[in-house]
Amino acid sequence: MKPLEIIRKKRAEAINRIIAKGYLSSKRVYVGMATCEIAAGSKEVMEVFQDAVKSGLSDVYLSQKGCAGRCNLEPTVEVVEEGRIPLKYGLVTKEKAKEIIERHLKKGEVIKEWLIK
Amino acid sequence: MPKRFNITLCDGPSCMHKNSKEIVAAIEAQLKKHELSDHVGINLSGCLGMCARGPVMIINPGYSIYGDFTEKDIPEIIEQHIKKNKPIARFIIDEDHLYNRFFRVFGDVNFFGKQMRIALRNCGIIDPENIDDYISLRGYEALAKVLTDIAPEKVIGQIKKSGLRGRGGAGFPTGIKWELTAREKSDEKFVICNADEGDPGAFMDRSAIEGDPHTIVEGMAIAGYAIGAQKGIVYIRAEYPLAVKRIKKAIADARKEGFLGQNILGTGFSFDIEVRLGAGAFVCGEETALMLSIEGHRGMPRPRPPFPSVSGLFGRPTLINNVETLANIPVIILDGAQWFSSLGTEKSKGTKVFALAGKIKNTGLVEVPMGTTLRQIIYNIGGGIPGDKQFKAVQTGGPSGGCLSEEYLDTKIDYESLAAAGSIMGSGGMIVIDEDSCMVNIAKFFLEFTQNESCGKCTPCREGTKRMLEILTRITEGKGSQEDIDKLLRLGNMIKKASLCGLGQSAPNPVLSTIKNFRAEYEEHVRDKRCRAGVCRHLLVYEITDKCVGCSACKKACPAEAISGALKQKHLIDVNKCVKCGACFKICKFGAIKKS
Ligand SMILES: Cc1cc2nc3c(=O)[nH]c(=O)nc-3n(C[C@H](O)[C@H](O)[C@H](O)COP(=O)(O)O)c2cc1C
Ligand code: SF4
Ligand code: FES
Repeated sequence: MKPLEIIRKKRAEAINRIIAKGYLSSKRVYVGMATCEIAAGSKEVMEVFQDAVKSGLSDVYLSQKGCAGRCNLEPTVEVVEEGRIPLKYGLVTKEKAKEIIERHLKKGEVIKEWLIK
Repeated sequence: MPKRFNITLCDGPSCMHKNSKEIVAAIEAQLKKHELSDHVGINLSGCLGMCARGPVMIINPGYSIYGDFTEKDIPEIIEQHIKKNKPIARFIIDEDHLYNRFFRVFGDVNFFGKQMRIALRNCGIIDPENIDDYISLRGYEALAKVLTDIAPEKVIGQIKKSGLRGRGGAGFPTGIKWELTAREKSDEKFVICNADEGDPGAFMDRSAIEGDPHTIVEGMAIAGYAIGAQKGIVYIRAEYPLAVKRIKKAIADARKEGFLGQNILGTGFSFDIEVRLGAGAFVCGEETALMLSIEGHRGMPRPRPPFPSVSGLFGRPTLINNVETLANIPVIILDGAQWFSSLGTEKSKGTKVFALAGKIKNTGLVEVPMGTTLRQIIYNIGGGIPGDKQFKAVQTGGPSGGCLSEEYLDTKIDYESLAAAGSIMGSGGMIVIDEDSCMVNIAKFFLEFTQNESCGKCTPCREGTKRMLEILTRITEGKGSQEDIDKLLRLGNMIKKASLCGLGQSAPNPVLSTIKNFRAEYEEHVRDKRCRAGVCRHLLVYEITDKCVGCSACKKACPAEAISGALKQKHLIDVNKCVKCGACFKICKFGAIKKS
């Protein structure tokens, strides 16, 4: 097999593995986990989301991500829904993370004041 | 409720000429007609990289790229795509390009929407510790492609054609560097990724590795194939533990998938990468010092030639490239050298990442096409200066760079234009300075850094920077003379000419450029003993005004016993005794102390 054929196969496999991890859930949540994000407190934010998933928050795909580059609005969290413009929250704290889970992830209510514009 | 859309219309240099203003007006009119204005965001972007098909716009969600339309087509597009959610195939550019991946998530936010991302395309949208995420976005396809049907010379030909130049500071053409290393005959060659990133305040390379480490691994493997090397080394500073962890994991995962190691993807090509930690000396980022440091010696630059391409690590031909340089490689291979070379200016192609910091509203990482102006970065992306303060200068290139004043704001970002203006591109630091900063003090700050980091090998750099720093200190303390300014110029030019490595050759730049562009401030310091920004402590004068009620709080606070006056009467500061500590200014509850 030629390398290009191998990579196509590997790509299909990789996509399948990501899907098996729940990528097709109705919401995907990305939490910034780079040095700068962590310094701003993103580890605690991530823990809030992880705990929520552990205690039954379903239909959500949770992932870490690197820094997108908006330093003074970190920690940042994105909520991505297929077919919609992704929503980007800035300056997320532990408390805000809990509210994002309760209001946005569970009830579908976007918290407009916290969005990055 | 109608679905929300975002329309990003290209306002780049090429599309602008194809009436984007009329198009915006047409879009707004149509949205109003259909009562959809509240559901659709409109933003203007920089070049979207498809100039030949301009005008170009992207409708999100879905990342539908519209090209080759006119304002007459807008009613149809709004009606079909926005109102009925039916994209119109005949306008859509059907491309799965690698660059600008981040746009799908971030494009509607002004700060991001005005950028073009090649090196940072995946940063912030994938899990950097999961190789599957990278592969799913066509990761390692560029490596597979060169291994399938592009001979090493042809890969080098493409890199040359792309016009890519080194992003580590010097801007040397990458393709030529690859060619020079490929030409050498040797049983062993090395590819080194320079991730030392020693500039104070710079964090582009750290973010790139932490956000998308596999692109560096892939870039290095392609370089290894092109020049005939089997070993790669990532030289990264130990102060970057998370980046170290992620690059190590990326290397291990790539090995497991067969992208590194023996017989890669069954082609007989073998290449592997190891990670070496740097101790954090600025000079160890210089290529010859870096290699000595890997060999276990003290990191000190040596004269070139021989260049690393001829005799590098352990005397073997070595290719050394910066993180950002390597991150561009997979994109050049898959999106095309021709395309890459269509971006930017005549001699500077592609994009450049900057770490935007200082007195600016939106601090952060900015990647823009070469040729974007400083003004566009600072005002359109950075959002300008906070708190209605006046812009004073922009510093580019870190401690090796210079400070540019307002008249240079329309300078285009490319290697030559920045150099002509008296600064440098450098590795991508960009610090915005407002009226509250003293330019003499800024120059002193950078010189303190380089003076400290000088390895001491050559006298002009070791002693010369020390003398310059002494003079600058004297000036900020109000003890400078007119001759001192000329002395700084003479010394600076001498150090630039007589130093061995780039550290010494560039160390005087912050001083020379501030004298060139802000000479009046230096003269005020030496002639009037005045610092207009009120930063140089020794030049401040504290006075007590008539607001004084004689409470005597300042008298008690003054460590130098410089304040006299009876209780309930106006006090007085003896300027000869005052040590300018500002204690009185801080303690006074009546605002009776004037600082000037
Ligand atoms: C004092 C000094 C420090 C340097 N630090 C770095 C650095 O941190 N990272 C880097 O890539 N290049 C640095 N360089 C430039 C390197 O010597 C070299 O030119 C570069 O890594 C080549 O890669 P490029 O062609 O991809 O830019 C430094 C140079 C000098 C003189
Ligand atoms: S110029 Fe300075 S840093 Fe460079 S080798 Fe000479 S003394 Fe060392
Ligand atoms: S200017 Fe519009 S795509 Fe380049």
